[in-house]
Amino acid sequence: MSLADKLVSSFLAFELDINIQSPVHVKRTKALKEFEKLGFPTKKNEAWKYTSLKTLLKEDYTIFSKKKNVLDFKNIKNYFLDNTESYKIVFVDGFFDPFLSQTSHDGVDICILSAALTKPCYSKIVSKYFDSSINTKDSLSLINTAFAKEGVYIHIPKNKILDKPIEVLHFATGNEAALMLQPRNLIVVEKNAQVEIIETHQSLTENPIFTNSVTEIFVEQNAHLDYYKIQNDSLNSSLIDNTYISQDQKSVAKVHTFSFGGKLTRNNLNYFQKGSYINSTMKGITIIDDNQLVDHHTLVDHAKPNCESHQDYKGIYSGNSTGVFNGKIVVDKIAQKTNAFQQNNNILLNDKSSINSKPQLEIFADDVKCSHGCTIGQLDQDALFYLRARGIPKKEAKALLTFAFANNVLESVNIPSVKSRIKKIIAEKLGVDLGFDL
Amino acid sequence: MLSIDNLHVSVEGKPILNGINLDIRAGEVHAIMGPNGSGKSTLSSVIAGNEDYEVTDGDIVYKNENIVELSPEERAHKGIFLSFQYPIEIPGITVTNFIKTAINSNLKARNEDEMPANKMLKKIREKAELLEIDSKFLSRSLNEGFSGGEKKRNEIFQMAMLEPSLSILDETDSGLDIDALKIVANGVNKLKNKNNAVIVITHYQRLLDYIIPDYVHVLHEGKIVKSGDKELAHQLEEKGYDWIK
Amino acid sequence: MAYTEEELKKELETKEYEYGFVTDIESETFPVGLDEEIVKSISQRKSEPQWMTDWRLKAFKVWKEMEEPDWANVKYEKPDFQKISYFSAPKGKAKYDSLDEVDPELLKTFDKLGISINEQKKLAGVAVDIVMDSVSVATTFKETLSKKGIIFCSISEAIKEHPELVKKYIGTVVPQKDNYYSALNSAVFSDGSFCYIPKGVRCPMELSTYFRINQAGTGQFERTLVIADKNSYVSYLEGCTAPSRDENQLHAAVVELIALDGAEIKYSTVQNWFPGNKNGKGGVYNFVTKRGICHTNSKISWTQVETGSAVTWKYPSCILKGDNSVGEFYSIAVTNNYQQADTGTKMIHIGKNTKSTIISKGISAGKSQNSYRGLVQVNSRAENARNFSQCDSLLMGNKCGAHTFPYIEAKNKSAMIEHEASTSKIGEDQIFYCNQRGIDTEKAIALIVNGFSKEVLNKLPMEFAVEAQKLLEISLEGSVG
Repeated sequence: MSLADKLVSSFLAFELDINIQSPVHVKRTKALKEFEKLGFPTKKNEAWKYTSLKTLLKEDYTIFSKKKNVLDFKNIKNYFLDNTESYKIVFVDGFFDPFLSQTSHDGVDICILSAALTKPCYSKIVSKYFDSSINTKDSLSLINTAFAKEGVYIHIPKNKILDKPIEVLHFATGNEAALMLQPRNLIVVEKNAQVEIIETHQSLTENPIFTNSVTEIFVEQNAHLDYYKIQNDSLNSSLIDNTYISQDQKSVAKVHTFSFGGKLTRNNLNYFQKGSYINSTMKGITIIDDNQLVDHHTLVDHAKPNCESHQDYKGIYSGNSTGVFNGKIVVDKIAQKTNAFQQNNNILLNDKSSINSKPQLEIFADDVKCSHGCTIGQLDQDALFYLRARGIPKKEAKALLTFAFANNVLESVNIPSVKSRIKKIIAEKLGVDLGFDL
Repeated sequence: MLSIDNLHVSVEGKPILNGINLDIRAGEVHAIMGPNGSGKSTLSSVIAGNEDYEVTDGDIVYKNENIVELSPEERAHKGIFLSFQYPIEIPGITVTNFIKTAINSNLKARNEDEMPANKMLKKIREKAELLEIDSKFLSRSLNEGFSGGEKKRNEIFQMAMLEPSLSILDETDSGLDIDALKIVANGVNKLKNKNNAVIVITHYQRLLDYIIPDYVHVLHEGKIVKSGDKELAHQLEEKGYDWIK
Repeated sequence: MAYTEEELKKELETKEYEYGFVTDIESETFPVGLDEEIVKSISQRKSEPQWMTDWRLKAFKVWKEMEEPDWANVKYEKPDFQKISYFSAPKGKAKYDSLDEVDPELLKTFDKLGISINEQKKLAGVAVDIVMDSVSVATTFKETLSKKGIIFCSISEAIKEHPELVKKYIGTVVPQKDNYYSALNSAVFSDGSFCYIPKGVRCPMELSTYFRINQAGTGQFERTLVIADKNSYVSYLEGCTAPSRDENQLHAAVVELIALDGAEIKYSTVQNWFPGNKNGKGGVYNFVTKRGICHTNSKISWTQVETGSAVTWKYPSCILKGDNSVGEFYSIAVTNNYQQADTGTKMIHIGKNTKSTIISKGISAGKSQNSYRGLVQVNSRAENARNFSQCDSLLMGNKCGAHTFPYIEAKNKSAMIEHEASTSKIGEDQIFYCNQRGIDTEKAIALIVNGFSKEVLNKLPMEFAVEAQKLLEISLEGSVG
């Protein structure tokens, strides 16, 4: 049975476990129907031209993990940020782990979606926001909605500046031979509020893991969101991350995506600007090798005047790896004075690696500044000689140049422990013992 | 310190140097002059180990070791420093981060411990002062957007930090106004001692008023055609290179 | 007093399509519709050899199985292919030996087009082949060219006189089954130009073809084949006009260029088909497949100024098969009123040390949509491939759209690809500055657009550059937002 069929036929079993009378379930049922029509995307679909899900979908995934393993904090300590006070929401094999987590209901809600979907006190927020921003033509988002049950629920009320960042960790332990996870997250940052979130997916097993995640984020007037995605998963894990960010006027939303691990990683990052004077920023560093594939699809919908967007994605590809970048900027005819900037720079280090880039502009207003640039190249040989002439060995010199190439993406990272974590992973990935610090 | 014997060098099969002989002892300053295209920059690149240049014949013996087969970084570890004619711009790496990495790489190659951060900072400040370099300059990306003078001063700053035995200054005077020239020359002179040597490569005699050479060699069509003392530089200035051909 | 925006708009709307006249010549036109019999009749009517008839029939078979593509960023009512007449020839003698034999009405048409053949003969030294409603009616300068061994004639003539060349190369760059319109063209093409430059010959003059659709309800399907033998050079110009008509006319051409080792082909187009009226009624559907193949050390350069057509769908491309070959694409596409253009190029790097340059300038005004669609592909064995692309858009007003769809695919680590794109408008400060220096707004826009397009205009041969500049001004007059 294909995975699509398996998912559809498992829905009845899923319904046994949840309240099918809730309004949310109407949305689930509708989404399932749409998914049935569309199925998983193939390479014929323009948005999936360069990324095939064929191999990924072939595995016989368990859709509902039966039980979760117990994890000992000291064994997974390394995946949390060093020396950083934080709220923590931890899932193990798709189940919330209260022992590893540190949630809060103290003037904010930092907890889990299963609670939010079932308890009456959350119903106002849930009915207003849940499933209100996803692309109803995207079958991966649809199938996530159909099985939406567990994930992160964060609600920061107005004027609240969160005192410390929130770490979200999804662990997979290999309790099933192959496991599909579908976390569903809802994040609402009200007027003048501020929040920082770090998200990590980490498999602790060699068993195949397929995560299809959907995150809806609402950043209201003058609010501020800083989101970091650290993707350094094992080589048998694949991730399709669908993130939808809706912004109101004068808000700032920044997403940094660091992709180093995983077998297949697809990031669908969508921004909808619903007011004026909005800043949307998305940046990424991708360093991959072997048979890895990382695919960044961004969409910025400039629907109101006087907004800006910044995109800066750097990719370094070695081994047999494949990079994809598809950045789409749409400027509506009323979105005058839009300032949209997009940059995608790539380095190919091996003849077997490849990059496909499609930086798209669709512009319907005349008084705008939109630009995009895309480069594909190699490390500068003159620069390499210069470094070596100063006594830096070839491998380190290459690593330094690679780091320099990607560095400006790190400059806007505001949490020092995130920055040092990324630097450490980059050094590991490049096989050098350099701090990239000072 | 450096002994070059019958050095022949080609680039993409085209011969550039055709039998260079040169002996340099510790404590000496040698100037190499010559018209454009005579092979001056090739000579400096070859000594530093640029792999674009192929040594077809001859030897380069440095501190009693033939270095022809060594990588650029190995030569640097042994104390060879090249001040580039066109220093490379590397966006994303600060001057400080760069020099720190370079110093520690050199120390590591000599099996020594890394330089502690406080000592490093002190040294950076000291040498920056010597070359009248603003501290803001040190946190900028390496050579990116630097003026010609800033780039050259940065090269000599790195030389001061790395304390090489043999420094090759490739057209360090080009792109410098007279004040910057004096600062750079002053820096070089202060770093000069009886244990190290300097090769000054230049088209004009101007720099040699400030860095006084012990020997002057004239390079023409890949060969040293005349050698002498600093008087030779003055003669060249007066009579031009045609006089030598 | 300065122009108001309203006045400018009004003037633009009333601006008539300058070339919108109908020539009253008796034509022989086939009944509408398309089936195997029509394909055979076209071939027969042109007394073609059997191999050509078979080739057409094969294409027709392929076409029947295909679907009209809809991936381009254009919206239009799909033509009813059974309502088009696939052959229309000016009546009278089928061929002319000299201009004196040409119908005087036809010559008047050329005069109106601004291409007085005699004038050009004397002054510019341009050899012209004129294709009117599908049939080549006049080829000038034939003799001068033949002395150098250059063949420049209609493709029908080439099929009869030089079958070995046509047979060897036709369909090799754009296969019959390449796409919907190329298959259709392969089945029904009525005429077009053929050009062969022998080894080592530098063609001494610009070769030029002028296309015109005249008869109502006809489609034009011309086929151009240019072969530049080893180390030869040719510069080829192509111009297009059509009368104003209410219904849409279809133009589906195929152009194939073959640059053998060391050869260079420069192919320039000024396309000014009827764009439809200010309400978007009528106008030509321009669905064209243009492609060239570059062998070792050769170069193909496409330059296009696209101001006409209601809908344009066109991607002049280069297959850089040989080592050290070079492909270039320089384009200005102007859309106004309800025009839609989806145009760009494909650069396929296969050989080593291949280089390509893409400069695309899109100017959108009125309610038009202007898209750049391009592909730069570096195959895994294409060592040291280089590409530079620049796509700039200029928008006037907020009722139009500018779109950029660049596809970049690199599979070789030594590839160096740079792509830049920007969007801008004509600044009020720029116009004010010009006004202050005594230049009126209309002229100021012309100046600024000209500056914006300069890099491409400079690539056109002199004779065309002037005309192209004039066209730009006409197409954009008064469209400041």
